[in-house]
Amino acid sequence: MAERRGPVLELRGITKRFPGVLANDHVDLDLYDGEVHALLGENGAGKSTLVNVLYGLYHPDEGEILINGKPVRMRSPREAIDNGIGMVHQHFMLIPVMTVAENVVLAAEPRKAGVFLDYDAAVRRVRDLAAAFNFAINPDARVENITVGQQQRVEILKALYRGADILILDEPTAVLTPQEADELFGILKTLQREGMSIIFISHKLREVLEIADRITVLRRGKRIETVPREGATQDGLARLMVGREVLLRVEKAPAQPTEPLLVVENLTVFDERGLPAVQDVSFGVRAGEIVGIAGVDGNGQTELIDALSGLRSVTSGTVRVAGKDVTTETAHQHYDAGLGHIPEDRHLRGLVLDFSLAENLALHDFEKEPYSRLGWLRPGRMIVAARRLLKEFDVRGGGPKTRAAALSGGNQQKVVVAREVARDPRALVAAQPTRGLDVGAIEFVHRRLVEERDEGRAVLLISLELDEVLSLSDRILVIYEGRIVAEYGPDVSEQELGIAMTGGLVPEAAAS
Amino acid sequence: MSEPQPPPPGPPEEADVAEPSIEADPEAQTSLAARWDLYQRTGGVITPLLTAIFAFFVGGLVVLVTTGKNPLSTYRAIFDGTGLNWFFPWVTGQEREFAAEDLQQTLLVTTTLILVGIAVAFAFRCGLFNIGGQGQYIAGMIAALQVGVWLPDLAHVPHMILAAGAGALAGAVWAGIAGILKATVGAHEVISTIMLNWIALWIGSYLVGFNGPLQDPNQVFVPVTSEVSQGAKLNVWWGDPKLQGLHIGFFVAIAALVVFWIVLNRTTLGYQVRAVGFNPEAARYGGISVGRNYFLAMAISGAFAGLAGSVDILGWLFRVDLTSVQLSSQIAFIGIAVALLGRNTPLGIFFSALLFGALLNGTSTRNLDPTVFQPELASNLTLIIQGLVVLFVGADLLILYLWRARAKLRRKLRSEPVAQR
Amino acid sequence: MTTQAEVVLASGRIKFRIARAAGIAAIALGVLAFWVALPPRTVRSEAVPVVLGLLGIALGLFSWRKGETRLGWTAAMIALLGMLGGVLAAHAAVENLKVVITWSAVIAATLRFATPLIFASIGGLFSERSGVVNIGLEGMMLMGAFFGVLGGDKTDSWVLGILIGMASGAALALVHAFFSIHLRSDQIVSGTAINFLALGITGYLYIDTYGQEGTGDLPAVPDVNLDWLSRIPPEGLGSFLEKSIGHLNLMVWLAFLTVVLAWVVIFRTTIGLRIRSVGEHPRAADTVGISVYATRYAAVVVSGALAALGGVYLSLGFVHSFTENMTAGRGFIALAALIFGKWRPFGALGAAMLFGFASAIAPRLQNVESWATYGTLFQALPYLLTLIAVAGVIGRSIPPAAIGRPYIKQ
Repeated sequence: MAERRGPVLELRGITKRFPGVLANDHVDLDLYDGEVHALLGENGAGKSTLVNVLYGLYHPDEGEILINGKPVRMRSPREAIDNGIGMVHQHFMLIPVMTVAENVVLAAEPRKAGVFLDYDAAVRRVRDLAAAFNFAINPDARVENITVGQQQRVEILKALYRGADILILDEPTAVLTPQEADELFGILKTLQREGMSIIFISHKLREVLEIADRITVLRRGKRIETVPREGATQDGLARLMVGREVLLRVEKAPAQPTEPLLVVENLTVFDERGLPAVQDVSFGVRAGEIVGIAGVDGNGQTELIDALSGLRSVTSGTVRVAGKDVTTETAHQHYDAGLGHIPEDRHLRGLVLDFSLAENLALHDFEKEPYSRLGWLRPGRMIVAARRLLKEFDVRGGGPKTRAAALSGGNQQKVVVAREVARDPRALVAAQPTRGLDVGAIEFVHRRLVEERDEGRAVLLISLELDEVLSLSDRILVIYEGRIVAEYGPDVSEQELGIAMTGGLVPEAAAS
Repeated sequence: MSEPQPPPPGPPEEADVAEPSIEADPEAQTSLAARWDLYQRTGGVITPLLTAIFAFFVGGLVVLVTTGKNPLSTYRAIFDGTGLNWFFPWVTGQEREFAAEDLQQTLLVTTTLILVGIAVAFAFRCGLFNIGGQGQYIAGMIAALQVGVWLPDLAHVPHMILAAGAGALAGAVWAGIAGILKATVGAHEVISTIMLNWIALWIGSYLVGFNGPLQDPNQVFVPVTSEVSQGAKLNVWWGDPKLQGLHIGFFVAIAALVVFWIVLNRTTLGYQVRAVGFNPEAARYGGISVGRNYFLAMAISGAFAGLAGSVDILGWLFRVDLTSVQLSSQIAFIGIAVALLGRNTPLGIFFSALLFGALLNGTSTRNLDPTVFQPELASNLTLIIQGLVVLFVGADLLILYLWRARAKLRRKLRSEPVAQR
Repeated sequence: MTTQAEVVLASGRIKFRIARAAGIAAIALGVLAFWVALPPRTVRSEAVPVVLGLLGIALGLFSWRKGETRLGWTAAMIALLGMLGGVLAAHAAVENLKVVITWSAVIAATLRFATPLIFASIGGLFSERSGVVNIGLEGMMLMGAFFGVLGGDKTDSWVLGILIGMASGAALALVHAFFSIHLRSDQIVSGTAINFLALGITGYLYIDTYGQEGTGDLPAVPDVNLDWLSRIPPEGLGSFLEKSIGHLNLMVWLAFLTVVLAWVVIFRTTIGLRIRSVGEHPRAADTVGISVYATRYAAVVVSGALAALGGVYLSLGFVHSFTENMTAGRGFIALAALIFGKWRPFGALGAAMLFGFASAIAPRLQNVESWATYGTLFQALPYLLTLIAVAGVIGRSIPPAAIGRPYIKQ
């Protein structure tokens, strides 16, 4: 684009380490005037870390930031703002109980007599600003009462109000409906025409190709390549993003499924905001097969998992585990009916980190023999049982009395898997079972899931990792916008899946 | 005030940072229960000891600066007033008799403090802050008194048990209100227990005050109730029953410490309570009813505070008067200090209750030699020391600093070849 | 599309207004139902309060049905209570009622009892709006009460007494701020410690300085005498005004001024906007460049100074002496008033007045022999009401979102 001048922003060799993780490994990035530059990568590729460094929220261990060719330090968001950088965070930084105008002007308020907030002026300026960019927004509305798409526009207004000429958007479409996303692209194009330079973070190929001028692909904290949009294809980008060399294949015999053990019919589930998150979903998982659910984050997976395991009330439809209707039962009764559940987040849910491993392994069954009798715990039995399980599942780094928090992520996950599998469930729901694990632990979990399949359990795998779904599943369902939009056999190509996952199969008109 | 949040992944050394993200809610507040656990693991016995020593040191400075008196001789006089010198074999004769009397007094107070300390500690383990010990204590006093006054013909042992049980039950009910509110509408237990304290205080004052329904009809000019009948009084096993010797309530308190430990660590109820306290979301996932446990933990906690009220009434007060209703706030709040300093462990609670019991008794007008130090000053000194203890014992980061310093020191020692195993 | 939405919104607003008006009318009817049965009206027929009360309940329920859920319920409850009160009063002997309810005296006493609560709850407002729980208000009040006396005594000036008292409360608040903001202590534990410390420090210094003799002569904060009020026609009104608000202490008026100022600061200045943003969503505030720590420190220190002002009023303005633990739980009542008032200045004022009213009535009930014991019981009422409010029956009190949570910088 405007390559005659130097870039407005340059990141050189940015390196950011967290304990045990290299989040950014000498990443370079440049941004030209009036350009939309997309940062593409899988979850955990280091995209968010990079822009948080740029916005002064993280301090890089190495590397430098140049604005208009001059090195600057970003010690705080304040300095980023002063350097003309605005950011729309993935989770909005808005105060729900305040009005749009208050949120926009916060910390840069128009004043009367030095101390008083000139609210009318704030409303006026926000209205003018909104009008200038053709945003339909009421400055007097409380943020909690407006839609997510409008909230995002408020975030953009915040940046514009502060005179930003570089705008960072972190996964802006993750929370939007397709229509809202289209509106956002319209806005971004307007901004671009006005001379704004934009960094756009996404993992959705289709929208990156639609909006970006150049695309930088990150993988495992490293910059892989920067390509112009012209000539870039979904196939090519997907290959860069996923990387052939990391694809894990699991040895497994063809599935021999028998009777259905986990059956979902016409399931509809609402989210916290009271909007349908899962809509009219039906599927069955048979004994001896792994069914994978592929989808982009936030398309109803969490709500589906919760509804399957009794942690969220079902609006309509039924859930049956091993023939028993458990739709309205508690979590406990789901477990008793023969469900195993490896939860999405082992820190939040899967483990009581301050409990010992023995106690964690007894989490579902502490009220039953042998862990307790007549209300009395039997710690000795717990420890004996735990010792056996820890050995069987090769958990390293501690014994039955070790606190769960003291283990590495991989070993923690092994504890969760051990607990769920050792209960001999008929159906096993595995949600993101390898999130944040190293290769060794991933292989272990994968092998184990296949073994459980071969034992005759029905395994439902819900994962955001495409290669995981591809390498493990005997059938693949694609979830998009809370609906199952496609079903494939195990030999489907990654590209084909990717298109279905990003709504490529759904005609725009029907997507609502 | 928010619901207790899921605990963060432990102290930094052990943190498992798989996916560092700014969105990982860095504000996630350590749940109370996880904090307690952290204290136990990090501080061990060292932090509370250091804290106590520091608090006494500051107290000594106060004495020195304001009165110019020797802090050591002041503390010595307080110590002598506690009767703890009874344990020294060289204290004999008359002095030993006095010491025994003083020690009985100290242990009387310790008994109460152990029970209110357990009350606070038990709720803490479920992630709840029971600041309502006062109300539960008052409820316990009045219920025990009523049962103690009624049924004068009942045999001794059943009467004692019935009266003490009534007190515990009353405490449980009073705290249970806060528990139910927490479980059903999510009302923060700190606010509701504070309100329940004052409601209990005024209802209690009304009941025992002038013309109140419980006032002793034979003493219309004193705001005091009738005395519990002889059968309900707890046996005195050490010292003169007429001079407030030590009653068997002391053993009740010791037993309560054991019960506290057993319920938490050896019953399925305790398992649930701890799971909810550490991580309500994981407990829910595990199939545990979080609300039910909030209620039960509050009720059990209240039962201990109510029991404290009953043993005081049945053991040595025998009547409820307006002063004891009003003084209850002191006792209940010291319970918080006891639980904090005792780090939630039975042994810790015992020793910190003994420390505060000794301080209270040693600085009382009756026991402190006024020629050495004015008891009125000393009792306020006690408050300052309590305040400092609570302030420093509750400071997370201070504890973490100490912990890290210790870990560093250890690593250093380890790296030296001699220190290797 | 937008215009359509606006039309819907606008018609919604009109509906809302009707519902709101009905709710307010219901409250007025409830109060009226009680009032008519009290002196000077002392209507003897139960029918009057019953009719008024039922009308109020109906209006309250109407308001509830029309969308004003909270206001409607509250109004219906108030109407019900007013009706019950009215019926009870209609039953009571007129002379007894006259002993208890001498409106001018009741109003004056209500204001006097409410003043320390107003100061402290407004103090609490600042702290809690910034996200720091302050149950140390009690201790900060006590500091003010003692150091106000000590300062006033040593300097022989009530002005300096007030200032020194405020400074002492601010100093104690600084300790609370340091521990709960920087050291990330549990804010409730820290507040508890603050209360212990204040009790110990003031008690110790009091005994050390004044011994058993007490504080003796102190410079008093003057009363504001508004004798001209009595000349306001008609005759009854003038003397009523003069008796109820004609001889109030300067600090009572100051308390009202504080409420107005607090409202202006919190809701009309940029400082207030920032304090609120820090209490609601500290990370959002941080990302636009507001210093979360500095804001919270300032708010907590202001809170200590204001709470201390309440203490100074107790000692220098009201009782004219200091006694150990003289605040006797008023800090906690102030906290209750803050919650009952939903973390809003005028809400807190209203709650403090209600609590002050309970405190004013209680001793007056004792003037009637047969009612004497109920005076004590009556004092439990404010707490019961707060408990009900917290339980959400009257409408959920929603605290600042980030309250009680330490903020950890990245």
